Amino acid sequence: MAGALPMLLGAFAACAAVALMTRGAGGAAHGLHRAALAGVLALGAWILFDGLVLHGLAADPDLEQLARGQIAGRMIARLWPVWAALALTFAVSLWYRRRLGLYGKLFDSPIGMIGFALVMFWVFTALFADLIATHDAIAQISGMRNAPPGTALPDSGARGAFFLLGGDSQARDVFSRMVMGARDVLAIAPAATTFAFMVGITLGLPAGYYGGRLDAVLTFVANLVLAFPVILLFYLLVTPDIVATGLPMWMAAVLFLFPVIFLCVLWNSRFANEPGRRNLLVGVTLVAGLWIYSGLAFNADPLGLWGMSPNMLNVFVAVVFVNAPTVFRITRGLTLDLRSRDYVAAGQTRGERPVYLMLWEILPNARGPLIVDFCLRIGYTTILLGTLGFFGLGVSPESPDWGSTINQGRQLLTVHPHIAIAPAAALMSLVLGLNLLADGLREESLRD
Amino acid sequence: MRTITEHQPAPHPAALRYAAEYRDGRLGRREFLTRATALGMGAGAACGLIGVSARGALAQDHGAGTHGGTLRIQMDLKAMKEPRRFDWSELANFCRGWLEYLVEYNRDGTLRGMLLEDWEASDDASTYTLHLRRGVRWNNGDPFIAEDVAHNFALWCDESVAGNSMATRMTPLIDPATGRLRAGAVEILDDHTLQLHLATPSVAIIADISDYPAAVVHRSFNGGDPVENPLGTGPFLPEHYDTGLRGALVRNAGHDWWGSDAGAYLDRIEFVDLGTDPSSWLAAAEGGEIDMLYQTTGDFIDLFDAIGMSRSETVTAATLAVRFNQDSPPFDARDVRRAIQMAVDNGVVLELGYDDRGAPGENHHVAPLHPEYADIGPPRHDPEAAREMLASAGHGDTVFELISLDDSWQSASCDAVAAQMRDAGMRVERAILPGATFWNDWMAFPFSATEWNMRPLGVQVLALAYRTDGAWNETAFSNAEFDALLAEANSLADVDARRAVMARLQEILRDEGVLIQPYWRAVFRHFRPHVRNAGIHPTFEMHLYKYWLES
Amino acid sequence: MPGFVIRRLGTMLLTALCLTFIVFALTNMQPRLETLAKTQGSARMSDAEVQSWLAREGFDRPMLERYGEWLGVVPGWTREQADGTLRGRCIDRAGDAAAGTRCGVLQGYWGSSTRFNAEVGAVIGARLGATGMLMLWVVIVMVPSALAIGVLAGMREGSRTDRSLSTVSIVSTATPEYVSGVIFIALFASSTFGLSPLLREWGLMEANTLFLGNARSAMDRITFWNFTLPVMTIAMYGMGYIARMTRASMAEVMTQQYIRTARLKGASFPAVVLRHALRNALIAPFTVIMLQFPWLLNGVVIVEVLFSYPGFGWALVEGASNNDIELLLACSVVAVIVVLATQLISDIGYAWLNPRIRVG
Repeated sequence: MAGALPMLLGAFAACAAVALMTRGAGGAAHGLHRAALAGVLALGAWILFDGLVLHGLAADPDLEQLARGQIAGRMIARLWPVWAALALTFAVSLWYRRRLGLYGKLFDSPIGMIGFALVMFWVFTALFADLIATHDAIAQISGMRNAPPGTALPDSGARGAFFLLGGDSQARDVFSRMVMGARDVLAIAPAATTFAFMVGITLGLPAGYYGGRLDAVLTFVANLVLAFPVILLFYLLVTPDIVATGLPMWMAAVLFLFPVIFLCVLWNSRFANEPGRRNLLVGVTLVAGLWIYSGLAFNADPLGLWGMSPNMLNVFVAVVFVNAPTVFRITRGLTLDLRSRDYVAAGQTRGERPVYLMLWEILPNARGPLIVDFCLRIGYTTILLGTLGFFGLGVSPESPDWGSTINQGRQLLTVHPHIAIAPAAALMSLVLGLNLLADGLREESLRD
Repeated sequence: MRTITEHQPAPHPAALRYAAEYRDGRLGRREFLTRATALGMGAGAACGLIGVSARGALAQDHGAGTHGGTLRIQMDLKAMKEPRRFDWSELANFCRGWLEYLVEYNRDGTLRGMLLEDWEASDDASTYTLHLRRGVRWNNGDPFIAEDVAHNFALWCDESVAGNSMATRMTPLIDPATGRLRAGAVEILDDHTLQLHLATPSVAIIADISDYPAAVVHRSFNGGDPVENPLGTGPFLPEHYDTGLRGALVRNAGHDWWGSDAGAYLDRIEFVDLGTDPSSWLAAAEGGEIDMLYQTTGDFIDLFDAIGMSRSETVTAATLAVRFNQDSPPFDARDVRRAIQMAVDNGVVLELGYDDRGAPGENHHVAPLHPEYADIGPPRHDPEAAREMLASAGHGDTVFELISLDDSWQSASCDAVAAQMRDAGMRVERAILPGATFWNDWMAFPFSATEWNMRPLGVQVLALAYRTDGAWNETAFSNAEFDALLAEANSLADVDARRAVMARLQEILRDEGVLIQPYWRAVFRHFRPHVRNAGIHPTFEMHLYKYWLES
Repeated sequence: MPGFVIRRLGTMLLTALCLTFIVFALTNMQPRLETLAKTQGSARMSDAEVQSWLAREGFDRPMLERYGEWLGVVPGWTREQADGTLRGRCIDRAGDAAAGTRCGVLQGYWGSSTRFNAEVGAVIGARLGATGMLMLWVVIVMVPSALAIGVLAGMREGSRTDRSLSTVSIVSTATPEYVSGVIFIALFASSTFGLSPLLREWGLMEANTLFLGNARSAMDRITFWNFTLPVMTIAMYGMGYIARMTRASMAEVMTQQYIRTARLKGASFPAVVLRHALRNALIAPFTVIMLQFPWLLNGVVIVEVLFSYPGFGWALVEGASNNDIELLLACSVVAVIVVLATQLISDIGYAWLNPRIRVG
């Protein structure tokens, strides 16, 4: 019980800190930025630890128990590769930011920087998850059911032999599961969003550019998908029954073809005058694309490097399918707006082909809103994956992904809050980071 | 012999073991009494075994109740069907308001006549004489007579009705040629006496007619929703039944119920379906919207304790069978099955999968609770030997897939089994399937876990699940010696004689590595402290007429 | 204008047709029918029993034909049973006289729900009513507060108020319902955790918990105590988005020439905001709010399941997890109507609020 109030206070403090910091936007001295950033991160970390650990005080006296500060210290130490990578990224980016285009401008916006830091924190955590995790994410250790944070393992005093954030209801390490869960989430959400964008852009550009019957048909189909209640769609698509019918595989076969088509058309339209370069690029895209395609869609990669379990493929396809129509609508709207611009008209009089105009004139000018939406959509997809976990759909058993761990932990929230709160805090901070990043990007791209 | 209730004068061997555990402090008094009485011991005798006064220990379950009040119960309300097709105890529990049973299986493991005054079996368990209770009336005024009972047997024996689960229990009375009640199998001697003539001996028939699909309906009943035309002998009447939402029973003031001098205390019983998520039940209990739960499981037992509800507990012969299908390689090899069995410590599965709430199982699916249980000692646990055995069987690198239902304790238990197999160097993957998908193929999965509810007698489960032609034989186990011994056991009305045969049956099951049977579940129920006589029943029956409220 | 509306209604009809057909196809796949047979018949039926069950219930005929029956363009099936009685889609409903007639959506019959053992029309009606009440309260709470936050934040862009309010709205959009709902229940509806034990200790409260963590009782009577948490959970998540849109729109309006002119003419700041800026700043959020409705449906599903409140979303999940075909078809029709009707209203309303746009 005691854990909840400081957590709430902490959350409000974090909001206030963000608000205060962003006030200094005009000043824009990096030193200030970095100091403030470090402050916020430290505060965030403190909130996380404090909330999680306070209720651990009522622990079983027989077990060796880490104090609050020790847990925080050990977690920070375990996360060292993340800190190092973050520091390196920020140092390099700040140094070269004038040469880095929109990405560099991000570092002029404190909001964007905080968002970027939060997102990169989880990206690096996912990358270095093997180094960070203290235990196997699915190993169960007898005696550690629902253990409070900082509990030592029953029979050792060795290094890493603590459940830093406690044990879950099946005696697995919450900290390691949270870290490994980042990998699961960050493997699906951005990739699914990227695919949705490929599909949405490939269809949205011609729909907006040509209009007419093509537009009418595509818009109707997009609205059809959008009119589907998302959860009903998931219930119908993300079940083992459907896997057996092969439907997700065929949907994947169609959806996953779009990136390959998109890239081939992209190269072809750009380098139509330089056949050598075009053939090389298109060839490389085709070979690599179809190789990956065969692995992902049909699980038939000859080299066995690319592959997705049927369950995962199912979830992936469903998420792409739900997101693509919205991207389509945005792209179509932007194209409608941009096709009447002077530079498009100039291109038309120059005799450029429509494909070139769409991909190399309209698309680059629409990138600002698209990038912003991309960030927001990754966040939305992350939430959507959690929703799937909430309804117990498409979840691989024992998977440490945040949605299903939140769902498992929520039932015991009043007695063992650490189980649900660790993944919930992780999910919220990632989505928050993506939202802030999108805001920063929007702000900076508007200044262009 | 008079009855088949297996009520033993000498203490059951398991009861003596529990008494020893009680003296060592490993078992609480309450728990001991629940277990000992569930073994069929009288409460007084059980108390005597550990030297405490019966009066204090059992005060709660005795004493006449007070009349009046409304009880609100959380329970799933599934789509209603006719009684013989019941596939969930919940359906029967609602109908228990007005439909009664010939025989009632009690919390203490005894069988008590309800609509039967009593019954007799021949020594070879092939002829039963049933004596009906006199003075029982249907709530439309008709008297309850032998013709009613004969009509019920005819309904139960009709194999052509899809999902008629009584038919699988009534095999000795069914004519295999027609799939209906065999002519002459039920003989009406007079208005209150019938005789059953079994084609093959069965000691289980009385226990079978106490099971929840055996609710007794009127002689005019011929299928359909019992709620629409609530013609029964019981003291309540349904007010409404909204599937998935709520239902209510009210006391039938116009009906003279045969047992009214000691029962049917409540004025009104309301049922609420709050879905399958126990946290919703907890929230409803905290908000004071329900008085009693159907069942509490896992970590929620402590949570309901913490909000001040009373707990009732009983050990059952309900279990989880982590079984191999011997038709699917590599589980056709006995060594593979034995190796996996040896890799798993049942005690650890009980701890991690079921929070230590129960007793460890012995991999043969006969429970200490069953009267004919033979103690053949705990199974062997040896991960090292298991690894070697598996390797020498040529499956050291085989990846096994363990399938379970998406139910929290079942999947947790399977996760624990999988984790232990990994500890022994085996390669395991887990798959969790939603209910509908799981039950589509539950008998055919190569390696999966199935929940088994308890049956009063050990032979009942063995006949259903492990006999070559067992209706629910999910292991594809087929062993001539086993089948012969089981038939022998089924014809031995004397428990001690049967126990000797059971010992051999249990050994065969275990040596053949048929299943990992990690534990016997204890089951729990919580209710508010003013609810009386509502302790959980091992097969989840709700004897509504016994419940009362303290004002 | 009428032509526009008629065209839209035509699209709606076509969408509903396509959508229901897809749902029909997906719910009638063989494995799902087997699942249905097992939930309806008996969980442990054999394959032969499943087949005979499907035949008896009329599921063994071509899918298109059955879809036609559901629509009411093909006469309902009839079949003589083993015991000589006649059974069929229309007979089950209206008796033997109905043999050979059509009974489908066109005749006003939405089928019968296998999960709830009742006619779909009645089930959906009752559940939609319950969701209507929930949505009503969500809108009452969410829209004014979101607009207030947005207007206050956008009034003076870059101010401290703006920054803190914007942060609050970002945080609220980053908190999905399945997280906030659970945290609300733990904090406000647990007798052992969070606020309730404190309040009881301080003698401020007699009841066990402050709010009810289960909204089932709201089915009969909605009270402040049983409805606050579900309403807050949905409102929280939706609020942030509307507030941010309002803020952006307000901020843009505040930089317009006419606002500056009004300021120069000496009007006070509150007067300028109320009289000139507000109306124009609310046009954009209006469409956002309307388009938000279908999206709220998602949150409604989660919240209704979480609080076991038997509304439309709850029925949808119950239907979906039990493969209740006709209930799901009706649910998708409702979803299409909600989505497309809100689009229509938002387009018309946008034109009405903004004289420069003409619907056509």
